Amino acid sequence: MTFNNLLSRSIALIIGAGFFIVPTVYSKKYDGVTVNILTMEAPQIKGPMVKRAPDFKKLTGANINVIGVPFSDIYPKMESDFATGTNSVDAAVFAPQWMVDFIEPGYFEDLTPRVKKDSALEWDDVGLFFRSFSSTYAGKIYTIPLDGDFHMVYYRSDLLAAAGISPPKTWEEYIYVASRFHGQDMNGDGTPDYGSCISKKRNAQAYWMILSIVGSQIQTKGTGEGIFFDPKTMKPLVNNAAYSRAFDIYKETTKYAPPNEINLDVGDTRGLWTSGRCALTMDWGDIGTLAIEKGSKVNNKTGASILPGSRLVLDRNSGELVACTKARCPYAVNGINHAPFAAFGGWSGAVNISADSKVKDAAYDFFSYMAQPNQSNKDVTVGITGMNPYRISQFENINNWTSAGFSKAAAENYLGAIKSSLDSPNMILDLRIPKNQRYQQVVLDTEVHRFVSGEITKEEAMQRIHDGWEEITEEMGRDTQLKAYRSTLGY
Amino acid sequence: MTIKTTFEERLDKQAPLVFILPSVLIILFFSIFPLIVSLFIALSRLRFVRGGVELKYIGFLNFKKLIFGSQQYHLLGKFDQLTPIGYIIISLFALIVFIWFIHYFKSHKTSIPGSIGRVVVSVGMFFILLLMLINLTTPKGLPGTLVVTLVYVFIGVLVQFSIGLGLALLCVKKIRGRSFFRTVFFIPMMITPVGIAYVFRMLTDMTKGPFAPIITWFGLEESSWEVIPWGARTAVMIGDAWQWIPFMFIVLIAGLESLPTEQKEAALMDGAGGWQIFRDITWPTLLPVSVTIILIRLIEAFKIIDLPNVMTNGGPGIATESLSLHSYFNWRTMDLSGSAAVGYLLLIVAVFICVSFVNLLKNKIELAHR
Amino acid sequence: MKIWNYLNKKRNIDDISFLESIPLYTILCIWAFICLFPIYWVFITSFKEAYVVNQGPFYIPFIDFQPSLHAWEFVFLQESLNTLKPFFNTVFIAFISATFSLFIGSMAGYALVRIHYRPKIASIICFILLLIIGVFFVAKYGQNWKIVLVSGISIFILFLLTLSRRFSASLKNDDIGFWMISQRILPPVVVVIPIYIFFQKLGMLDTYSAIIITYVAINIPIVVWLMRDFFFSIPIDLEENAALDGASRYRIFTTIVLPLAKPGLSATFMLVLILCWNEYLLNLFLSMTDTQTLPLMIASMNTTRGPQWWYMSVIIITMIVPVIVMALFLYRFIIRGILVGAVKG
Repeated sequence: MTFNNLLSRSIALIIGAGFFIVPTVYSKKYDGVTVNILTMEAPQIKGPMVKRAPDFKKLTGANINVIGVPFSDIYPKMESDFATGTNSVDAAVFAPQWMVDFIEPGYFEDLTPRVKKDSALEWDDVGLFFRSFSSTYAGKIYTIPLDGDFHMVYYRSDLLAAAGISPPKTWEEYIYVASRFHGQDMNGDGTPDYGSCISKKRNAQAYWMILSIVGSQIQTKGTGEGIFFDPKTMKPLVNNAAYSRAFDIYKETTKYAPPNEINLDVGDTRGLWTSGRCALTMDWGDIGTLAIEKGSKVNNKTGASILPGSRLVLDRNSGELVACTKARCPYAVNGINHAPFAAFGGWSGAVNISADSKVKDAAYDFFSYMAQPNQSNKDVTVGITGMNPYRISQFENINNWTSAGFSKAAAENYLGAIKSSLDSPNMILDLRIPKNQRYQQVVLDTEVHRFVSGEITKEEAMQRIHDGWEEITEEMGRDTQLKAYRSTLGY
Repeated sequence: MTIKTTFEERLDKQAPLVFILPSVLIILFFSIFPLIVSLFIALSRLRFVRGGVELKYIGFLNFKKLIFGSQQYHLLGKFDQLTPIGYIIISLFALIVFIWFIHYFKSHKTSIPGSIGRVVVSVGMFFILLLMLINLTTPKGLPGTLVVTLVYVFIGVLVQFSIGLGLALLCVKKIRGRSFFRTVFFIPMMITPVGIAYVFRMLTDMTKGPFAPIITWFGLEESSWEVIPWGARTAVMIGDAWQWIPFMFIVLIAGLESLPTEQKEAALMDGAGGWQIFRDITWPTLLPVSVTIILIRLIEAFKIIDLPNVMTNGGPGIATESLSLHSYFNWRTMDLSGSAAVGYLLLIVAVFICVSFVNLLKNKIELAHR
Repeated sequence: MKIWNYLNKKRNIDDISFLESIPLYTILCIWAFICLFPIYWVFITSFKEAYVVNQGPFYIPFIDFQPSLHAWEFVFLQESLNTLKPFFNTVFIAFISATFSLFIGSMAGYALVRIHYRPKIASIICFILLLIIGVFFVAKYGQNWKIVLVSGISIFILFLLTLSRRFSASLKNDDIGFWMISQRILPPVVVVIPIYIFFQKLGMLDTYSAIIITYVAINIPIVVWLMRDFFFSIPIDLEENAALDGASRYRIFTTIVLPLAKPGLSATFMLVLILCWNEYLLNLFLSMTDTQTLPLMIASMNTTRGPQWWYMSVIIITMIVPVIVMALFLYRFIIRGILVGAVKG
C-alpha cells in the first residue's frame, strides 16, 4: 500500500468513525422526543415557553410543542383528553386550583422524587406557600409553579402622597380613599375619573374579588384553616355576618367606580388603570409590570400593598363578627388581620402519567428549566410574560427590576408588597376540591353577580350560595369532598 | 336505441338508493346517533374516571332540577302574581283558541292527528305565553334563559324582517348605485359570529368605543347599557340584527324583482294608490318567500350563543343568557349531564315553535300559492 | 311649475321622483354607513397600539393617532406558525366541506324531487328502537361496540326482509325532506360530546377528515333544502326525453340537471362555504393542534388579561377579506340562484 493510499484510507476511516462518535458525543438526552404541552393561547404564559423552547432544544434535543387553547377551554380539554384516554396532551400548564379533579382519577405524575433530586430547581427558593400548598396534594408534589398569583391592592402613589393619606389597611379605609378621589380628574384629560376599579364581570374573574374581600374575616390562624368550608362537617362558611359585610363592601365600591363596572373584566380594569383613570384597584401582580409599559400614564405613580384586612373576624360557632384578639388573630398586624388570597394559584406545569417515560422526563425537565432562577427571575420582570414573582430570590435582586424599567422606589414598593404577601403565614389557598369550578363559577359567581346587579338581595344571595354548594357536596358525596378539602389544606 | 348491460341496468335500478343513501346515513350518524347518546347523558350523571366515563342513571333528575328544583330560577326565571293586564291577555288568548277549535270542528275535516296536533299546539302556546307574561310584565318577575331565548327569537326575527323588508322595498327602485348598495348590505352576513360578537363589544364599550363621545355629550356616561337588563338584551339583539338583516334583505329583493312591473303599472292606471298596490300585489307574492326565510331565521335564532357570551358573559345577573349559552356554561364546568339536559329542552322548545309555525302558517300559504 | 312636474314625473312605476329620492338616498346611505362602520373600526383598531386603544376612541389614522404595524407584525411574523396554519386550515376545510356537502346534498335534493320514496314507518321505528337498545347496551353494560353494531345491523336486515311486509304505512318524500331540514334545529351543543367520543374511539381526533365529515353532516340539510327548490324549477321534459333515449339516471343528473342548476349550485356553495368558514364550536371540540381554524384564534385572543383587541382585529380582517372577495365575485350567481329558489318558496 502506498503512503497516499494509507493516508486516504485512514482519513476515510476517521471520518467514518466520526459519523458514529460525533453524534454520540453530541447527542442529547432527549433527541427525537416531542412533548405536547397544553396551555392558554395568549402571549402570556405561552409566549415565554415558546421563546425558551429553542434554547431547551439546544440543551437537550427535546421538541417542545406548546398548544394554545382559549382560556376557558383549558379545563374541559384537559379533562376530556385524559378521561377518554386520548392522551394527546403530555403535559399542561394550568391553574393548580383544578389539579384535584385530575389527581383523584390518577391522571397526573407524582413529581416528588424528581423535585427532591433536582438541585438546579432550587426548590427551597420558591415561596413557602407555593412550595407547600399550591404544588402539593396530600403531601405529594404534582405541579411546578411558573408564576405566582395573588391579589394585591394598588393605589395611585402620587395622589395619596399629595393628600397625605397612607395606603388603605382595611376595607373601610379602602372605601374612604375611593370616595375621597372619586370624580376627580386623575389623568389630566379633563374628564372625571373613578375612585375604585374592580373587575366584577360575570363568568370572568370576579368571583375571586369577593373572596379577597371576605377572606381576611374568615381565616386567621394560617393557611390550614381555610375559608370555604367547615373542616369537620363540610358545611359552607357562607351564610354568616362575614359574607354579609363583604357583600356590603363589594356593593359599596361600585358606587365609586365606572358605571359599567359590573361588566368589566380584568382586561378592561387594567386598561383603565394604565390610562390613569382609577385611584384604587385590586388585581393580580400584572398591574405592577403593566404600569411601566410604553404609553402607560401611571409609570412611577403606582403603589402596591398587601390586601386590606379586617379588625373584625368571624366566630365560626356563632356566625357573628367579633373583634380581633391576640389569641384569635395570631398573625394580625396592629390589630388588623390580613389574609392575602392566592387566587387562581399561579400557572403551574403538571405531567400526564400516561405519557411515554422519556416524554415525562423531558416535560419535567422543561418545567424545571422554566422555573429555575436563571430563566424565571428574568421572566417575572416582563409584563407580557404574564408571570408574577413567586421566588424569594426574585425580590432580593432589585437590579432585575430596575433594568426592566421600574424606578428604584417603585420596585421596592412593589416587591415589598409582594414579599409581605408571600411571607404571610395566613395566605388563603384557593378552593381545590373536585368540581371546584361548579362551586365557584356556577354558584358563587352567578349569585354574586345577581346580587351586585340588583336582581336579588344579599340575604337571598348568601342563602342560595349556601344551598347551591350544599347541593354539589351532596351530589359528589360529603365524605369524598371533606376528605379532599382536608387533603388540600394539608391534613 | 342503445342496449344497456345488465350491470348498468342494475345500477340504474339502485339509483334511488344511491342518490339518497349517503345523505341519510351521514345525518343518521351525526344527528340522530348523537341525539340518542345525549339523551342518555341527560338522563344520567356523568363522571370522569380513570379509563373513561361513568354514567349513572338517575332518571329525570336533571330535568326536575331545571324545571322545579334549584336551577329553576336559571331556566324559568322568577315568578310573581299576574297583573290585571296579564289576566286580560291570557283570557283573550284562551278565547282565540276556543274559537279556533270550534271553527276546526265545524269544518268537517277533522282527524285524530289533526286534533291532537291542535291540542298540543294550544297547550304549548298557552304555557309559553303565560311564562312570558309572568316573567316580563309582573313587577318582580325576572326572565330565565328560556324566556330570554324566546325574546331574542321573536323580537329579533320580527325586527330583522321588518327592516329587511323596508330596505328591500327601497332598494328595488331604480336608483343609481344599486349594485353598490346591495353589495355593501351583503357584507355583515359573512363575518364569523364570534368576530361580530367581539366587534360589537368593542363598539359598545363606554370608554373606548367610538360612541363614547356621543354618550358623554348626552350626559349618559354615569349609567351603562351593560348594567340594565333590557339594555344588555337590546345590545345583543342589535348585534344579531346587524348580522342577519342582510340575509332578509337579499332574499326579499330577489323576490321583489321577480314581480312583473306590468301588473303594477296596470293597477296604477286603474287608480290604485301605493299602499293598495303593496297590499294586494306585492305582499301576496312576497308571502311564500317571507315565510321561508322567517322559518330559516327562527331555526337559527334559537341557537344564539356567541353574542351574549362575548358581550356580557350572560350578565347582568342572567339577563342575557340564552338556552344555548346556559348549556355551554354547564359544559364548561364539566357538568355534562346538565348541559345535555338544557340542550334537550332547547331542542324541544325549538322544534315545537318551528313545527307549529310550519303547520299553522307555512303550509297554508304554500298551498294557496302553488 | 313645469320644471317641478318634469323633475317629478315618473317614467316607470319603479322610477323615483326627485322628491322621493332625497329621503331614499339618505336612508340607504345611513344603512350603508351602519354596515360599514364596524368594519372600518375593526380595520383601524388593527393598526392601533395597546395604549391608544385603552385611552379612548380615536377615529382617523395619522390625524388622531399614529398607526403602527405592531399587531400585524405580531400575528403574521412573530406568531406566523400560529397564524398561517389556522388560515390554511380554514380555507382547506371550508372548501372541501362545501364541495362534499354540495355534492352529496344535491344528489339527495334531486332524488327527493324526482323519485318517490316510500320508507315504511315500521322499519324506521324498528331502526330507532335498535339504535336506542344498542347505545343502551354499550353505555350501561360496556359491551364492545363493534359486536353491538354488527348484531344490530343483522337484526335490522332480518326485520326488513320478513316482518316489514306486514306493515304498509309509510312516509312520503315531503316527510323525508322535512326530517332532513329539521336537523338544522339541533343545537350543536347537544351533539358535540357524543361526536367527540365517537371520533376519539376511532382515533380520529384532530384530523381533517373528522372535521370535514362533521361539517358536511351539519350542512347537508341546508343544501338539500335549497337545491330541492332549484331542481323543482327545472322542467321535467328534458329529463324525460333523455330517459327515453336510454340515458341512466346518473347521466341525466350530471349532464342535464346539474348544468341547468348552476346558479343554485353557486349560491348554495357560497352559503355553505361561509357557514363552514365561520364555524367555531365544532372546531373547538374536535381540534387540538393541527386543525385549529381562525375563529378559534379570535376567541383565543381573549385572554385572562382581557381581550387583545389589536390582535383580534387583525385576525378578523384576515378572515373577512377573502370572504368578501369571493362574495363579490360570485355575487351575481348568488342573486340569480336565490331568486330562482326562493320565489318558489
